Amino acid sequence: MARWGMVIDLNKCTGCAECVTACKVENNVAVVGKDESEMGRTMLWMDILTHYEGEYPNTKVRYLPRPCLQCDNPPCTKVCPVRATYLDPEGIVAQIFPQCIGCRYCMAACPYTVKSFNWYEPHWPQEMAAALNPDVSARPAGVVEKCTFCVHRLQKAKEQADSENRELQDNEYIPACAEDCPTQAISFGDLDSPHSEVSELIRSPRIFTLLEELGTEPKVYYLSEIE
Amino acid sequence: MKNTIKYLTPVILVIALTGIISGTNQDVRQPISFNHKLHTEEVGLACVDCHSNVEKHSRALIPNIETCGDCHDDAEDENREKAKVGSYVSRNEKIPWIQIHVVPDHAYFSHRRHVTLAKIECQTCHGEVSEMERPFIIPFVELEMSWCINCHEKSKVVNDCNSCHR
Repeated sequence: MARWGMVIDLNKCTGCAECVTACKVENNVAVVGKDESEMGRTMLWMDILTHYEGEYPNTKVRYLPRPCLQCDNPPCTKVCPVRATYLDPEGIVAQIFPQCIGCRYCMAACPYTVKSFNWYEPHWPQEMAAALNPDVSARPAGVVEKCTFCVHRLQKAKEQADSENRELQDNEYIPACAEDCPTQAISFGDLDSPHSEVSELIRSPRIFTLLEELGTEPKVYYLSEIE
Repeated sequence: MKNTIKYLTPVILVIALTGIISGTNQDVRQPISFNHKLHTEEVGLACVDCHSNVEKHSRALIPNIETCGDCHDDAEDENREKAKVGSYVSRNEKIPWIQIHVVPDHAYFSHRRHVTLAKIECQTCHGEVSEMERPFIIPFVELEMSWCINCHEKSKVVNDCNSCHR
């Protein structure tokens, strides 16, 4: 059985936020207004964290795309009282929206702050409503949501492979962010497959994960920038 | 005790009756009194002849007006229901069928997965459609998760939440 993971090469990332847009469109992530954003209610499954270094004019901006890190030892699943979030057999931290009671314990437990709470009923401007992805549900108010590694794409890819009586192939299942990245900074695949791109990349000396010391064992890895 | 029963009985009856009435969904009026029995037995059509997406896609689809137009185009037909179809066809207008078997959008259900790959008969979820002389106004089974889970458990297929929910 596959163990899905992601490697993000920070040397290639330009901070263009194409991954953020692709994710938002693919997963019907709600748009909130300026006032709500200022209250910390922005909905993002993929975010670009920015880090500013130096003093003007000698400044440098570093970008770090941050989806759900799909931990192998996730703190969020341990606090969920209704098993709305759990580690699935293929290593994806599932978020089952209709099961969620909105207690937000998981949001408090996640050290990477990847989860968003739906404060409002889903609503899109009329022009955008027709562009909603029918493969992903619109989450109701009162539930927590987060990056699912585009698991709906996995469901469809598996069915296509089964209908052709074959195994799932490399790159047949790939999340929207990785697919759309214009600099191919995001790689995705089976970490346990010895010949997959991601399993080769995680052997690089540049590899690191966020807050390694917490022991959460994320399956989203980063390749550090080359100075 | 006798008094309790005496007063509770009408209350229980009213609750039960309300349940039965709301359960039969009497308000649903389909635009045409479609006869599945006639189409399957007399005309000899199979389910997939009209619900053409069943074997290849996740959604089975209610047939579009072009499919009806293959056989019906007479808006003046003596048969009132046939004339209605002919009228929609002549105007090239979509028939406003009311979908009865609805899976919530947070559940991934694929007809191809169930019909083509798992070889499940249409009748398992939709009943003996070929015996029906009226269109659906209530689903054959309430499509609740327990219905899915029971069958998945019996069939020993994947029961992981993330394989169906999204």
